[in-house]
Amino acid sequence: MTDLRPSTSASPGRTYGRRNFLSLGLGLGTLITLSACTPSDDAPLPEGGDPVQGGVLTYFEPQTWTLLYPPSVGFYPNGGIMNNISARLLWQDPKTLDLYPWLATELPEINADATKFTFTIRDGVTYSDGSPLTAKNVAANFDLFGRGDEARTLPVSEQISNYERSEVLDDKRVRFHFSAPSPGFAQATSTMNAGLLADSTLALDAEGFGPGGATGIHTCGPFHITDETIGTKLSVRVREDYDWAPPHLKHQGRAHLDGIDYLANNEYSVRIGAVLSGQADGVRDVQAPDESRVSEQGLRLYAKATNGINNSVNFRFRHELLEDLKVRQAIIAAVDRQEIVDKLFTPNYPLATGLLAKGAMGYKDQSGSWVHDPEEANRLLDEAGWSERNSAGFRTKDGQVLALSVNIALPQPRSNEVQTLIQQQLRHVGVRLSINPGDQSKQTLDALELDTVQIYHSMVARADFDNLRSNYSSVNRDVFLNGKDRDDAKDGSIDPEIDRLLDELASEPETKNRQKAAEKVQDYLVENAYVLPFFEEPQVFAFRRRVNGFTTEPVGRPDFYSTWLAGQK
Amino acid sequence: MILDIRYLFLRLGQALLVLLLAFTAAFILLSLIPGDGVTARFADPALGLSPDQIAQIRTETGADESWISRYFLSLGGFLTGNFGFSVQTGAAVSTIIAAALPSTAVLALSGFVSALVLAVVIAVLATYGPFAWLRKLLDSVPSLFISIPVFWLGILLIQIFSFQLGFVSVVSPGPAEALVLPTLTVAVPLSAPIAQVLIRSITDVKASGFVKVTSAKGAGELWILVHTVARNAVLPGLTIIGLVFGELVAGAVVTETVFGRNGIGQITAQAVTHRDNPILLAVVVIATLAYVTINLIVDLLYPVIDVRLRTQPGAASAGKKPADEPTRRALSTTAASVGVDLDWDDKDTHS
Repeated sequence: MTDLRPSTSASPGRTYGRRNFLSLGLGLGTLITLSACTPSDDAPLPEGGDPVQGGVLTYFEPQTWTLLYPPSVGFYPNGGIMNNISARLLWQDPKTLDLYPWLATELPEINADATKFTFTIRDGVTYSDGSPLTAKNVAANFDLFGRGDEARTLPVSEQISNYERSEVLDDKRVRFHFSAPSPGFAQATSTMNAGLLADSTLALDAEGFGPGGATGIHTCGPFHITDETIGTKLSVRVREDYDWAPPHLKHQGRAHLDGIDYLANNEYSVRIGAVLSGQADGVRDVQAPDESRVSEQGLRLYAKATNGINNSVNFRFRHELLEDLKVRQAIIAAVDRQEIVDKLFTPNYPLATGLLAKGAMGYKDQSGSWVHDPEEANRLLDEAGWSERNSAGFRTKDGQVLALSVNIALPQPRSNEVQTLIQQQLRHVGVRLSINPGDQSKQTLDALELDTVQIYHSMVARADFDNLRSNYSSVNRDVFLNGKDRDDAKDGSIDPEIDRLLDELASEPETKNRQKAAEKVQDYLVENAYVLPFFEEPQVFAFRRRVNGFTTEPVGRPDFYSTWLAGQK
Repeated sequence: MILDIRYLFLRLGQALLVLLLAFTAAFILLSLIPGDGVTARFADPALGLSPDQIAQIRTETGADESWISRYFLSLGGFLTGNFGFSVQTGAAVSTIIAAALPSTAVLALSGFVSALVLAVVIAVLATYGPFAWLRKLLDSVPSLFISIPVFWLGILLIQIFSFQLGFVSVVSPGPAEALVLPTLTVAVPLSAPIAQVLIRSITDVKASGFVKVTSAKGAGELWILVHTVARNAVLPGLTIIGLVFGELVAGAVVTETVFGRNGIGQITAQAVTHRDNPILLAVVVIATLAYVTINLIVDLLYPVIDVRLRTQPGAASAGKKPADEPTRRALSTTAASVGVDLDWDDKDTHS
């Protein structure tokens, strides 16, 4: 039998499966017509008032969670769960980014060069398996997160660098030692990537943290995992005995909700339809073109800042075509960022004014650095020797075409559309841009090769100065492929200044000086035209009107502790 | 004798060989794809690991070993029932498959039965239906059904019956409720080839001489349909049923994705995106096993349904005399109806 229907095995539906579907032009009209007459959410509800206890919130994610090992919860579906089931030593205010005590009784004592951190642990905290939180247990947690365990395929946390060892001082006090200054550690203890685990959970291997083992993961947050249907649903329920919220929060004691059901469905129209029709309470990842539709139906739309590195492209300067500063400057001048934001996004995606989002730690305003000027682009390219054109109108030099390739950042909003627009803009100045096709794995693998991806589209969020290092350093995410011993580039083409400035930032213990060091890094990257930022990337959520008090932690992961449902008895 | 033991063993041996070949082919093809799941997972920028750390994990997980040694390692694992671990999540493949298989089996069964009922209804109405225009209309239904994209049908059904009319919930449905729309989604395109073949074979059989003979003997339309036409028309239908099983697997991938059902189709889709070869290998083997089994059953059913096939294949057509009495009588009747005298000596009977 020949199956003439569109092949599905080649384009399995994750979040972007929908795009494949829609690109066929099938069903789109029908869906819009149908959705337009979906019952709207405008029934009368008690306005405002005090939070009510009770009710289970149903919440849709595009993908199922993969691993609940805290250092690996950067993946959104994992983080949305871990943030609500785990408690941390410190708590970071999502607005001011200041740190406050949580499971620690006070902010840590830090020595002058930020190599020793001493925490005092709160009394009376228990894990969901009944075991108590002790100094020894906290030490064991960070021994795992700070070192990783390759034998169990549990990687080290990218947020904790230079970790040496822990030292249990007494029942309530634990000290962490670092081989080099690590001023970012205090903030690292506040993120969900440092969610504390019970001793029984710490002994698990990667399999134990994966699907099928969720109910064996014991944490000490306001909710705990009670039920798991592999691949489709995870249920967390409130812990009645939770009494260790960050002390300076107004809300203390148990969470208002009785629980949360996390549902996963790859099909966007189903997720958004379920919320619009009232079958579910909330959904993450509302696409920009749907924002107005969601608001019109009376739903609450939240665009939460992620306070990190802006959605940007990074120019891999070690590739021969991008070696020349003028070529990089020309590409920047040829791109019209305003057009991208206006055409593809909404006001919830503000035009980037720096490499970092305005709310990020270390932000510096560099808004004049990326001016759209096609004439200047043409002039720069001519100067750089790319003055000849081939029959297709693309610039050439010694017979070589100025052709570059960019990846699709699948986790980022509308990456493919953004790149398609840039492709058109660059064509006007004779630069050929091809968009690297493929699914998530292919994008990840291709992005490791200079020959396949020369312009790298990405973003990363962490509310600390160290975010810059995570993103640009050759030992972390290495967006420029600036490391040693590459097959596809000579060591001589490395720019050692980037890593040097980042190391300076990482080892600077004082906040004031860290700000300066962070600005130096950004200045250097901008001067050399290594990065072109587009917009501040939000996480966009939609909730039914009965859902009140929804907030996110500093990088936009949902925080349901103080969320409540109106109309509950 | 309806079932030939030697034939059965031969077919079972063939089935095992097919399984081994499918496993090997899948393994080689998956190894040919550049990049492996371990790198794809741990080089993901979301983890922020350094190249050294990734290299260390690759060594630990055995991703660096040669494909030959990995092949025999996984083959040995499969033979002893150890399917290995998912590259993406670290969970045991057997856990993931065990969680997904029942849901797919239920969907496949209900989808298949519905498709069968749908196909028979379409085929009978298209050939014995009351009005000429209705017969003509139904005759074109299979071509329409085969052209409907599964994902589109699924989304449309959800939009109408769940979001608009609120008949079924997609968020927290009961077990039966969860099955209605996916079953329909699977059944519609699946019924098309079966209905098409049934329509053609019913039309052919209807035109055969022996039907005219039966009709001339005074049998009613219904009696002819049930006793004469159906028995003869069902064989090609049976063949196509064995073949459309592949469609069922392909349809499940899309249906389960759209409806958020955790089944073999859904995990296949995810495994492909994550280069999760251990899961893909297990899925290939399971799908092959199911395909081989279904076709084996279909082959074994032929002689049960059709008396002409109850001896060694080819016996009847080679002019050999079938051993049993009913077969001989049936064949003689058939032959006589088309004017052929088989010239068998009726007295020469033994069993």
